[in-house]
Amino acid sequence: MDNKGVRNLFIYGSLFFFVIFLYLTYDTMGKLDKRAPEITENVNQGKMVWHKYDCIGCHTILGNGSYFAPDMTKVVENKPKAYLKQFIMDPKSVNPNASMPKLGISSEEADNLITFLEWISKVDTNGWPPKPILAVAGTGQKEQAAGQRLFLSMGCQGCHMVNSIGGTSGPDLTHIGSKKDRAFVFSFLKDPQAVKKGSAMPPVKASDADIEALTDYLVTLK
Amino acid sequence: MKYQSQKIAQNFYTFAALLFLVQVVVGIIAAIQFIYPDFFILNFNTIRTLHINALVVWLLVGMMGATYFVVPEESQRELWSIPLAKFQFWATVIAVTAVVLGYIWMGIDPQANKTVLGTLLLNEGREYIEAPRWADLLIVVSVLLFLFVNFMTMLKSKKWTGIQGTLLAGLTMLAIFYLPGMFYTKSMVKDQFWWWWVVHLWVEGCWEIIAGALLAFMLMKTINAPRHVVERWMYVEVALVLFTGILGTGHHYYWIGTPAYWQWVGGIFSSLEPIPLLIMTWDAFRNTREYRTVSNKIGVFYAVAHALFNFLGAGLWGVIHTLPQVNKWTHGTQITTAHGHLAFYGAYVLLVISMIYVTLPLIRGVSEFNTSRGYRSFWWMTISMIFIVLTITGAGMVQTYMERLLGLDYVAVKANYNLWFWILRAVFGVGFLYGVWLFVVDFFKLGKEPVEA
Repeated sequence: MDNKGVRNLFIYGSLFFFVIFLYLTYDTMGKLDKRAPEITENVNQGKMVWHKYDCIGCHTILGNGSYFAPDMTKVVENKPKAYLKQFIMDPKSVNPNASMPKLGISSEEADNLITFLEWISKVDTNGWPPKPILAVAGTGQKEQAAGQRLFLSMGCQGCHMVNSIGGTSGPDLTHIGSKKDRAFVFSFLKDPQAVKKGSAMPPVKASDADIEALTDYLVTLK
Repeated sequence: MKYQSQKIAQNFYTFAALLFLVQVVVGIIAAIQFIYPDFFILNFNTIRTLHINALVVWLLVGMMGATYFVVPEESQRELWSIPLAKFQFWATVIAVTAVVLGYIWMGIDPQANKTVLGTLLLNEGREYIEAPRWADLLIVVSVLLFLFVNFMTMLKSKKWTGIQGTLLAGLTMLAIFYLPGMFYTKSMVKDQFWWWWVVHLWVEGCWEIIAGALLAFMLMKTINAPRHVVERWMYVEVALVLFTGILGTGHHYYWIGTPAYWQWVGGIFSSLEPIPLLIMTWDAFRNTREYRTVSNKIGVFYAVAHALFNFLGAGLWGVIHTLPQVNKWTHGTQITTAHGHLAFYGAYVLLVISMIYVTLPLIRGVSEFNTSRGYRSFWWMTISMIFIVLTITGAGMVQTYMERLLGLDYVAVKANYNLWFWILRAVFGVGFLYGVWLFVVDFFKLGKEPVEA
């Protein structure tokens, strides 16, 4: 083939693939709204807050962004909203070890941002992020105490760590049994604010019997 | 240098070299912030924005400079309008400076980033294309002026070479594909969808076409390879880049809320993306062996290194995590950062530096110049970059395994298990900075020192 032929192959071949790409884009655009919840005004306001503070300069969302701070796609599923709000407005007041600076985000902005994050957590992402293998395997264990099952099912691990597994938002509970007594743990779970003012932990919404069981489990962690 | 107007390239190169230095200095600050987040007055997000924006701008400005050199040479006449080219240069410098000052202002006072006329004033808060709308418009004007001057030059000469045409096609696409980043959508999914049109189609489309054309020009100039051979391979390469790269965009549409068929499209086409890069590498080696009359050794050296590291960084480091089955676990981890660093270094940093080494001696009118500093700069930069990439790859593997597979907390993995990788990365970053410093010194001194025997 002479150079003109190769050139034409380049031009028309590229156009061919671009037309396919355009068609797929058109098809995708028609499907996107069905794969996500409706966008309310608050969701949009929350998205603007996300842009205003350049959140993507540290965080990722849908896995895209800066890899310096945790991914925000499913954050509302793992952390209580009251905690999130307090953290967003003044991170170090909630978690002294937090890397995030205080950006001056207002109460209204924080509410909208959380609404936006709720929206993004419900987008159909083809199963991303995948459930970690150990977490999936771990829930199938036998011989768990009732309190331990509650601990796992209520999502306490979203913020608290036990034996290196779990979040870093709240205190590590690996040795909580040797630090606090039964009465303290029980009353704290029922109403954290009454025991420790300004705590970002929400009250555990469960029957007294369940909180008893949870307490029984926690005090065994020594 | 045959034409006086080619001198304008030097202005662009100078700006590019200085921004390169800025980019790497802020890069080291960012690396230290991985260890001490509170280090420095500006937060990580601002530093990171500066690091990447400086990179994109200096590479673009470098390619503009190279184009202003190549077009008169290929058209065999002076640039259509030197004052307009000069105006375009200074307008770009002023716009870039204004944007940077805006980022810094916002970094110090986040509330200054107000909404004006529906868009954010200082920072759009969209990765890589943070520049606010007013700056987008200035960038478009600058690129259009640049295109206009070059297009008129080609038109007046009525000499159409393949290299020129390909270069012009790449640059025109560059202007067009900036546009999908310039409108607001309420849906974050659509936001990211169109955002990838800009980011992917620039880096794995337009920029590779420009790179192909510049590489062809350099092979012709430095080793006297015949035009028809060089141009034929250029067409083959850029064709394959686009055949695989356009639909390869699909590898960004696996998990962002887009339909699952993109996993097939992206998986298949992006797996083929390394092929044209491999051909470019083979082409560079084959040509340098076949045509041995080398007129500018260090220029060829950088050009061949560009081809090789383009294949390693963009090709191999990309293909390892491009299949959806793998990407499901690695998406959003440091593996991507490692790929980004090596790909940009190989594909574009070495390309622009090689263009500078090929054209700068001609601009300064020297046939012989000291090259030892240039080679030292190469080894400092390249060895440091290899180790930077290895440390980030290691951190990415640890992160993928511990966070994604085992379910450990992000912060715990970053702060504890990857600490040494961050420390080593910062150390090699300083090594890289030394290499860049040598390059910048060499840039200013090239041809102005007595030639050693």
